[in-house]
Amino acid sequence: MSRFLFHRLAQYLVLLWLVSVIGFAVLHLAPGGPLAQFTLIPGMTAEQLQVIAHQMGLDRPLPVQYWEWFRRMMVGEWGRSYRDSQPVLYVIGAHLWPTLELMLSSSVVAVLLGTWVGVLGAIRRYSVFDYLATIGAMVALSIPTFWFGLVFIYIFSVKLAWLPPGNLYTIGDGSFLDYARHLIAPCLVLALVTIAIWSRYMRASMLEVVNQDYVRTARAKGVPERAVLVHHTIRNALLPMITIAGLQLPTLLSGALVTETVFTWPGMGRLFLDSIGYRDYPVVMGILMFSAMLVLIGNLLADLLYAVSDPRIRLD
Amino acid sequence: MTEATDIAATVARPSRARSRALARFVRHRLALFGLAAIVVLVLLCAAGPYLWPYNDLRINMRQRFAEPLLAGLHVFGTDELGRDMLARLMMAGRVSLTVGFAAMAISTLVGILVGTLAGYFGGMIGTALMRFVDAVLCFPSIFLLLALAAFVQPTLLSITLVIAATAWMEVARVVEAQIRSLRERDFALASEALGASDAHIMFRELLPNAIAPIVVASTLNVARAILLEAYVSYLGYGIQPPVPSWGNMLNNAQEYLVTAPWLALLPGLLITLAVTGFNFVGDGLRDALDPRLDIS
Amino acid sequence: MTDDQLRDTGHSQTLARRGLSRRQLLAGAGIAAGAAGLLPAPARAQSKPPARPTGHVIIGFSQEPTVFNPLMPHIEVDQGVYWNLFSPLWMADQTGEIVAQLAAEIPTVANGGLSSDGLSWRVKLRPGVTWHDGKPFTAEDVKFSFDLLNNPKFRAWSRTGYELMQDIKVESPTEISWKLSKPFAPFMSILCWTFMVPAHILGKAADPNTAPFNNAPVGTGAFMWKERVPGDHITLAANPHFFGTGPYLEQIIFKYIPDLTVMFTQFQTGAIDYIGLQGITADHYGQAKKLADRNVVVGPAPFIESITLNLSKPQFREREVREALYYGMDNKSIIEQIYYGLPKPTSTYLPTQSWAFNPHVAPHEYDPAKAKAMLDAAGWKPGANGIREKNGVRLSFQNSTTAGNHVREQAQQLLQQNWSDIGVEMKIKNMPPAVIWGDYFNKSQYDSVMIGEDFMTGPDPDVSPYFLSTAIPAKGGSGQNTMEYVNPEVDKLLQAGATTFDRAARQKDYWQAAELIRHDLPQLPIFQYATVEGTRKGLIGYAPSVYVSVNTWNVNTWYWAS
Repeated sequence: MSRFLFHRLAQYLVLLWLVSVIGFAVLHLAPGGPLAQFTLIPGMTAEQLQVIAHQMGLDRPLPVQYWEWFRRMMVGEWGRSYRDSQPVLYVIGAHLWPTLELMLSSSVVAVLLGTWVGVLGAIRRYSVFDYLATIGAMVALSIPTFWFGLVFIYIFSVKLAWLPPGNLYTIGDGSFLDYARHLIAPCLVLALVTIAIWSRYMRASMLEVVNQDYVRTARAKGVPERAVLVHHTIRNALLPMITIAGLQLPTLLSGALVTETVFTWPGMGRLFLDSIGYRDYPVVMGILMFSAMLVLIGNLLADLLYAVSDPRIRLD
Repeated sequence: MTEATDIAATVARPSRARSRALARFVRHRLALFGLAAIVVLVLLCAAGPYLWPYNDLRINMRQRFAEPLLAGLHVFGTDELGRDMLARLMMAGRVSLTVGFAAMAISTLVGILVGTLAGYFGGMIGTALMRFVDAVLCFPSIFLLLALAAFVQPTLLSITLVIAATAWMEVARVVEAQIRSLRERDFALASEALGASDAHIMFRELLPNAIAPIVVASTLNVARAILLEAYVSYLGYGIQPPVPSWGNMLNNAQEYLVTAPWLALLPGLLITLAVTGFNFVGDGLRDALDPRLDIS
Repeated sequence: MTDDQLRDTGHSQTLARRGLSRRQLLAGAGIAAGAAGLLPAPARAQSKPPARPTGHVIIGFSQEPTVFNPLMPHIEVDQGVYWNLFSPLWMADQTGEIVAQLAAEIPTVANGGLSSDGLSWRVKLRPGVTWHDGKPFTAEDVKFSFDLLNNPKFRAWSRTGYELMQDIKVESPTEISWKLSKPFAPFMSILCWTFMVPAHILGKAADPNTAPFNNAPVGTGAFMWKERVPGDHITLAANPHFFGTGPYLEQIIFKYIPDLTVMFTQFQTGAIDYIGLQGITADHYGQAKKLADRNVVVGPAPFIESITLNLSKPQFREREVREALYYGMDNKSIIEQIYYGLPKPTSTYLPTQSWAFNPHVAPHEYDPAKAKAMLDAAGWKPGANGIREKNGVRLSFQNSTTAGNHVREQAQQLLQQNWSDIGVEMKIKNMPPAVIWGDYFNKSQYDSVMIGEDFMTGPDPDVSPYFLSTAIPAKGGSGQNTMEYVNPEVDKLLQAGATTFDRAARQKDYWQAAELIRHDLPQLPIFQYATVEGTRKGLIGYAPSVYVSVNTWNVNTWYWAS
């Protein structure tokens, strides 16, 4: 086990380095640059742009720029944002909490509801419930989140005035209740898609397990139906879900771009898009490294958990 | 019947097994409905534009926002530039269905291949393959799209490939985990003992048992690809106006949520129909390939 | 002195300065004449401003302000914050009149502030002004600000005009003088948006580019820095010691809402009190007008929407082709249908409000038959697919604009059809802002772009950076003439205009330049922008202005009707 961990971590370090090289190269070679936003300033001249580029170090050869970035990274300096010249870690930190709040709450809702819908759909296969759940999931997947969000806001904020039209909290209020009220709409809209995904996987996984020998054996032995369901079926059906969960874990912190935009939620997803939009290289690189670590941790956890819960799997 | 005897049957009489699978698929009413929906959509988009009197690109500023059913021959109404909605929906379907299904097929195939090989062989090959998957997963999909968009000229084919390139990793990881677990099961070991080839065990024994999550993943990928196609144009890629796709029709309809809701409802409905249809076909396929279902 | 007394004096001083005759100003200050009538009058105060700052206003912006050192490279939205945190020496109000801010009076030849050649300046500063931290504002701060702009190590947002400054001398704590190395008429206008920064804080920083000040700014404006939540909002609080009118609000909040549709729903539900910058899109105007409890104001903006052509491309070299393209454009449908008649048609590059606007420039005409005849006559004959060609050059080109701007994309598609009708092929290739406005635009790699630009230098009608032949960045020039437009006569007129201080002479030069550029058509103007912005009813004081790029220039006078 510890050998496995050691090997895996060593592999991940190499991987992180590769990701940083590729990410850096792609980002800098992609068309456009951080100076584009200044070109339309009235009176901006090409000379002036040249001077700014020089001062930001953008006119140096790419390997030199990478080495500079890498060297600083090694001693824990993530650099400063080109946009507001704040330290990258501060910028990420400021956007992390809103994202965590939104993603955690919606994941809990989604996993609970998704599991329930999936299990019920599988047990009562081809029942009215199953059909409705299936079609509901397909609709949820086919309509962009943006639309759901806008329709949600239109109904519940504009027409009914039950919920605020987004934002983290009311400026000047910020009580717990106020936070909670603002969380409802984005949490539900975001959960909808995750419920759809999760319930489809869960239903499929359940259907696989229902016909396995051990389930039939348990039933033949006269184990009560409920116990069969809980102990033999659902437990085993959840196994493959570990991989799916591992894949979803990084999104807890990397955020949901579209939902955050519709509900004016200052989270990581929007930060990433804004930073890509402005070609804010230090922040994009920072988020890239941060989320790469999360992805690797998520995958590692999934593999470990899978091995622990399924004795047939060998770790090597 | 156990898996082992079923394997023997499959090995001995593959054609019978195949026809049984077909029979199971045909019995699946929903699967037939799904197939019908997709066939109708494909036919409509392929042939429709030749039969319909309106052109999808012709702008008519005097007929902006004509409501469906109320504007004579414009049965589905007109859009923000007075273009016939039905004509646009049909032409858009060509782009969206092609991108959706092709990207799904490519990403699923690549994902299955990588996942199966990695899960079955393990060791060096498996590690190398899975670390590659991890590496690609490390890049958020916007970043991948941006990267690819920067270096590839946009055509329908390249857009499809770019989208597929961001979607195969999930399939690969899911399949790898399943195969890794399945290969230790009795039937796989039995098959190995009987002297079956690696390829046979991988693709005839193990893979059919992992089909359930694959079907789900590829259904998700169809929907994802159709919507992503519209999104990549924000990154300076994708289909440019005036060529319609269901995704960009939906995007452009944002401002008209209240004033002209059909601009969004119609493409949304068609995407749902295509994705649902595909999902049911996938469900039927899953059942057809599941030998255990014969018993119950 | 109590707060109220301070405010009252400030107010009466403003009024007194308004009484200054424009003729007394240096003619080069060049602002406004007859513009006032065209502008919407500021909301009439039915009630009086409150005795002490009360309430708050949430200002919705579709971009995020991120740069808080006003002398560093920034965009419009950042200026929206500066107007409230900082003060310039003087500024243009919404009638275009120059009003003293940190200066005690506008320097003129008459009051001895300016030499008659416009080269020597002597500016008296308003006494008793303090920075937000309580330290007095003096001539040292002004000198420091100008020196910083010319400091080669500093990432200055612009050096145009400042680089001409020499011998900046502190004559006394309330008086400063400098010389210009050559006459430069727009300088008075440039100073309208040059905000002063504190020497006692920024002067101590080892590197002014990364000073802590840049994220905790201290100014002399009506509001003081309170907090910033990155990616979400900025809060400013009333400055009780402000030297001018107001402030009447306890707090103002700049809220960042990245999507225009979302921003509109927030305005609709009252989550924001004022919707600014890109404001309400034309598509939402009909809905917005019907909202109860909201005032929706259509105001003029200095931006001109045009199809800008890259004249170095073989398709656009001939003037006849460009004129035929202009005849082929159905601008009326774009303005009346796609933009709901909100913006005003134009065929030139200056807003109608500018004193240098030439009303005699030939208006645009939509005449496809004439366009076809012109192309035929010029030897462009229809070839394959009906696309015209001549000497192997197909009359086919790409048009680009910012991806995701749906209203603009509609106009592009209409033009595509218009031009296809006269045998010209236009392909749309839109890109994200960081790509299109980078080298692609700046180094003239494009065929044509659809763009909205403010050609003026602040409130001054000098358009040299856009039309001078020496301002082509792709040819090493310094400026923004990415069209690669070259016309020696225009060069001469624009250069003469920028070095003369006589308003009448400048106007004559600029009128003539406008005629020449209308004839050459390096760009095909469509309309002058109208901003559609809105406030919640009861908010008094909002006044859109063409002389600033963002309408939060006078929040110090805003208040809630009681």
